[in-house]
Amino acid sequence: MFDTVLVANRGEIAVRVLRTLRHLGIRGVAVYSDADAGSRHVAEADEAYRIGPGPALDSYLRTDAILGAAERSGADAVHPGYGFLSERASFARACAAAGVTFIGPPAEAIELMGDKIRAKLLAAETGVPVVPGRAEPGLTDDDLLAAAGEIGFPVLLKPSAGGGGKGMHRVDDASALRAAIETARREARGAFGDDSLFVERWVDRPRHVEIQVFADRHGAVVHLGERECSLQRRHQKIVEEAPSPALDDTTRKAMAGHAVALARRCGYVGAGTVEFVVPSASPDTFYFLEMNTRLQVEHPVTELVTGLDLVELQLRVAAGERLPFAQEEVTWRGHAVEARVYAEDPASGFLPTGGPVLACAEPAGPGVRVDSGIGAGTTVSTLYDPMLAKVVAWAPERDGARRRLRRALGQTAVLGLRTNVAFLRSLLADADVVAGTLDTGLVDRHAASVLGTGTGTGTGGAGSGGADRGGDDPQLGAGRHALGAVGPLVAAAVADATDRTTALAGPSESRADRWQVADGWRLGERAWDVRRYEVDGGRPVTVRVRRAAAAGDEPGAWDVEIDGPDGIVAVDGARVSTDGARLTLAACGRTRHFLHARQGTARWLGSGGTAWSLRAARSTPGSRGGEGTGGTGGAVRSPMPGQVAAVAVAPGDVVAAGDPLVMVEAMKMEHTLSAPVDGVVTEVAAEVGAQVGMDEVLVVVSSARPGTPGTSEAPGTPGTSEAPGAPGTSEAPGAPGTSEAPGAPGTSEAPGAPAGADGRHRRAGDGAR
Amino acid sequence: MNVDDDVPVLRSGVDLSSDAARANAEAHAALGRELSDKLAWARAGGPEESRRRHEERGKLLPRTRVERLLDPGSPFLELSALAALGMYGDDAPAAGIVTGIGRVAGRACVVVANDATVKGGTYFPMTVKKHLRAQEVALQNRLPCIYLVDSGGAFLPMQDEVFPDREHFGRIFYNQATMSSMGIPQIAAVLGSCTAGGAYVPAMSDEAVIVRGQGTIFLGGPPLVKAATGEVVTAEELGGGELHARVSGVTDHLAEDDDDALRRVRAIVATLGPRPSPPWDVAAPEEPAADPAGITAVVPTDFRTPYEVRDLLAHLVDGSRFLEFKREFGRTLVTGFARIHGHPVGIVANQGVLFSESALKGAHFVQLCDQRRVPLVFLQNISGFMVGRDYEAGGIAKHGAKMVTAVACARVPKFTVVVGGSFGAGNYSMCGRAYGPRFLWTWPNARISVMGGEQAASVLATVRRDQIEGSGRTWSADDEEAFKAPIRAQYEQQGHPFHATARLWDDGVIHPADTRTVLALGLSAAANAPLGPVAYGTFRM
Repeated sequence: MFDTVLVANRGEIAVRVLRTLRHLGIRGVAVYSDADAGSRHVAEADEAYRIGPGPALDSYLRTDAILGAAERSGADAVHPGYGFLSERASFARACAAAGVTFIGPPAEAIELMGDKIRAKLLAAETGVPVVPGRAEPGLTDDDLLAAAGEIGFPVLLKPSAGGGGKGMHRVDDASALRAAIETARREARGAFGDDSLFVERWVDRPRHVEIQVFADRHGAVVHLGERECSLQRRHQKIVEEAPSPALDDTTRKAMAGHAVALARRCGYVGAGTVEFVVPSASPDTFYFLEMNTRLQVEHPVTELVTGLDLVELQLRVAAGERLPFAQEEVTWRGHAVEARVYAEDPASGFLPTGGPVLACAEPAGPGVRVDSGIGAGTTVSTLYDPMLAKVVAWAPERDGARRRLRRALGQTAVLGLRTNVAFLRSLLADADVVAGTLDTGLVDRHAASVLGTGTGTGTGGAGSGGADRGGDDPQLGAGRHALGAVGPLVAAAVADATDRTTALAGPSESRADRWQVADGWRLGERAWDVRRYEVDGGRPVTVRVRRAAAAGDEPGAWDVEIDGPDGIVAVDGARVSTDGARLTLAACGRTRHFLHARQGTARWLGSGGTAWSLRAARSTPGSRGGEGTGGTGGAVRSPMPGQVAAVAVAPGDVVAAGDPLVMVEAMKMEHTLSAPVDGVVTEVAAEVGAQVGMDEVLVVVSSARPGTPGTSEAPGTPGTSEAPGAPGTSEAPGAPGTSEAPGAPGTSEAPGAPAGADGRHRRAGDGAR
Repeated sequence: MNVDDDVPVLRSGVDLSSDAARANAEAHAALGRELSDKLAWARAGGPEESRRRHEERGKLLPRTRVERLLDPGSPFLELSALAALGMYGDDAPAAGIVTGIGRVAGRACVVVANDATVKGGTYFPMTVKKHLRAQEVALQNRLPCIYLVDSGGAFLPMQDEVFPDREHFGRIFYNQATMSSMGIPQIAAVLGSCTAGGAYVPAMSDEAVIVRGQGTIFLGGPPLVKAATGEVVTAEELGGGELHARVSGVTDHLAEDDDDALRRVRAIVATLGPRPSPPWDVAAPEEPAADPAGITAVVPTDFRTPYEVRDLLAHLVDGSRFLEFKREFGRTLVTGFARIHGHPVGIVANQGVLFSESALKGAHFVQLCDQRRVPLVFLQNISGFMVGRDYEAGGIAKHGAKMVTAVACARVPKFTVVVGGSFGAGNYSMCGRAYGPRFLWTWPNARISVMGGEQAASVLATVRRDQIEGSGRTWSADDEEAFKAPIRAQYEQQGHPFHATARLWDDGVIHPADTRTVLALGLSAAANAPLGPVAYGTFRM
């Protein structure tokens, strides 16, 4: 066995491999890019080596840097994890050349199975069922057309070099084929640098089932059963399970037999996965899809049902040991389901997110396993795959595992960035998922139904999928209110109010001066503290908070009012307590727990798998200045009498606040005048070389903030009177004709005096700006 | 270990669940609802249409301005909230101005905010009185003044009642100058018009903020300028923010909008020096052993119904602890030491009419408190001094005078709460408005007049009967009743706390349950001012 193993990966898989290394008493070495210096896999390794800057091309994909680290650390083997270099034959060869064991299959097997066309041909030769189609190198457009005719429409065009479903095109009839081929080749060239295509029959509502195989260097090849990975979004698996609810024992046995045969045929060693598609309509048929020559992301579900540690087996096999069991000795127990937690925002089309992990909660409990690459204080970079963690649950039967997983996800929270956890919970409650009636299009259909409508009308009951996000959507109105819908908003508002109390009164309000008691006391009532909350950066919601007014009220109880779309939502007597990162809200006879973190002036709250960011402002809607912003623009004036040294803008230029506009030279100093606000240059009075007087207007910038009430007031609208012009107040300046707010674009500020113009606008030599 | 552990704890003898207690509480609650309705009306400000237009201009309503100015969650002790109630055809809710003490950047300040939705924020006579009273509060308690100006100046139809006299418009600026000279900061934010005399509010301030494109300051507005010189000029050109910030220097800070201006004012207040330490020892506050909200159960709303005033005190003072002075002597006046929210107080409370002994005891106790730097709290429920030949012969007038002298001359801050009747010379000896209490609050059940309506009617009827019978005619009982009824009605109406508070005879009508809070806030505010030397006039012995 090895003494030292370098893990050439990052994130959860690096953490997971390091765990087995620790278990086996092997020194674990991590590598990291600059972006990962504070990452969890670095913290959990025995040693860690920097291998380059953030981008993967400059770090995790650099063979030389990784082998350099292996040499410096004295590693005798390298575990590649998945992704990055795990399926590069060249890396396997480089390891061998450097005298380091590559923990994976032989380079030849990687090469062979990595070529989809050759892999498919080999499978067919081996007698493994393949999807009808033509898969050979160098198919011309005419070859593809002919093949499609033979196979029968609809067909699927696939890039030879692709993976993960990228660049695939479904074609329903012959007339559309040529155009589709052109598109597919262009995409393949762009994505993989190789425009080879192959064509095969379109399998309707396919399920994705794969067999885990394992081979040692002594000729033993076994399978560890199947996993079903039909729940995919854009061809990325997000939920996987073992065993597959699609297969009967006969099919399972047949599929496994083919997988083992193929592994044997390609001279496989180590952990590998043979993927099949299964048509929903006839689950006893299956076709070979491809073979992955590495440890799969979803390997934990196999581990939970077989009781084996696949990483340990990889290490043993790589070290030359025999597989410690025979095929007959492999047993399967119960059911396991895994869900992948991604840094992505389902509400915005699953765009990747990123940011600091302010706090995170990992679930625990019987049958629950978490493989995570993050921790509080780490940062999720958008440089890498957005998968953060996997939550896996086991139970004796499928529905139990599904329930455990769904509950575990409810205990999962990542604060500081948006994740898909709530979506996963919703998916796990989907009726088809519950029934085990899966196919690779299910996730997209589910997403369309729960995210499309937004409010998650749900199918009723706690188990209904769509209701999950909707049930906790603070933007929702009174209709659904039973604290659920508005819980996070109430919790944040009360927590903020409580903080303000402490800010005013110090730690012990009961000992404070009466002026420091933050009860908002007014004659006969208590004042509302009005705040505007932005939830997840959305439209601000007005929230009013005040001390609960009941006589003899205990301190710490608050009344909250939220202006919802359907009217005011009132919550009386709400209280919040915090204990570390846990925040507890008690109101309406209900107690809710949140994971809680602050981010500057914002708060993050997580509960039931959902996380919200909530930010409060004190100013009014329509306030012109906002919270400390620069203003509405206007004239930029010379700070000194001097000479214009440079002019950087022309009328019509769009400028950002702080952009340099003009430089004035005066008293041996150069004064750069910059834009006071984001906006448009409406006037440039300065010319290079011109003498200017103090406070002379040089440039006018008009604010670019569209639609704010303030800007509508700025341009001098004739007749806007400033005073209400009460009857009898003859001096009120309400007379018609008052107009022209100062600072309005291009108005009164103009340096109009012609008398001064001669002196001021003395043109310098070339004059041009 | 509490420093006051040796002080006895009052135990109210009232069973709060008794019928009488419930009846008291219910009667107070009914009055309280009436008060709340009046307060809500006054708080709404000007007509709906004016408020809408005000907000459409991007301006905040005056009370929102005050809220944004104050430290979040902090109390606001509004003054004269019902000023002008029932006056000027009810055209001037709250007299068109919001005043009070609030906490800004950690410091108690007097805030004066014009309400431009009420007749353009112009000054009615009561507006002037309310503004001056707020300044007086600032002066007496040495509190910084913040003026949120948005006013068209004097209400011209009533110029004779607002302009010329000593306590009229000009006094506002006199006060600004003299307070500034005493080191009491004067800060103005010009959030709208500042016309004519009003222009002096920012000009007389130590530091002034103006909102660009919104605030204007000029001695004469465009119409007046045109009339006077024919010059046609816009308000903005004449006195806008840009002009005053850049050219005239009348203002010191140019803000973008109300919120920005209020933030700047808060920042300015944060630069003021430290507040002085209190002139008396402040202990840690302690809630009364009896719930302050229960105070209404122990006090009947009809001042003619006797009750035990110590029960009231049990619901008012810290820990319900009360060290009574001369409990056995002059028993119609209850005196003693206690604390309210940590501040030491000497309580002077009526328990019936004043006799010579009660007055002597009161004079003695007031001097004690003055010597010991203990602020005084007067709880007024007094129908007057005892009358009659024996009492006059006993010198009740000179004994009463001793108490009046002591009350008038005591240098410690005095606080008066009218919890029942306030009649005649009793009002004087119990520190009525004329005796300069720092604050005077009234309960909704109180009555204030030179004597009771019934007594006044009887006195006048007696005089009348003497005249009639002296000329040989007779006066029937019916005629007498017809004579007395309007007198009683007039006294009832004029003695009502709403009538009083509308004219600023007090600083506000309060819910009884808030008594402890307003006293605590007032005491803390008063602790900003140093105490003068002890000095008394001649006591007639």
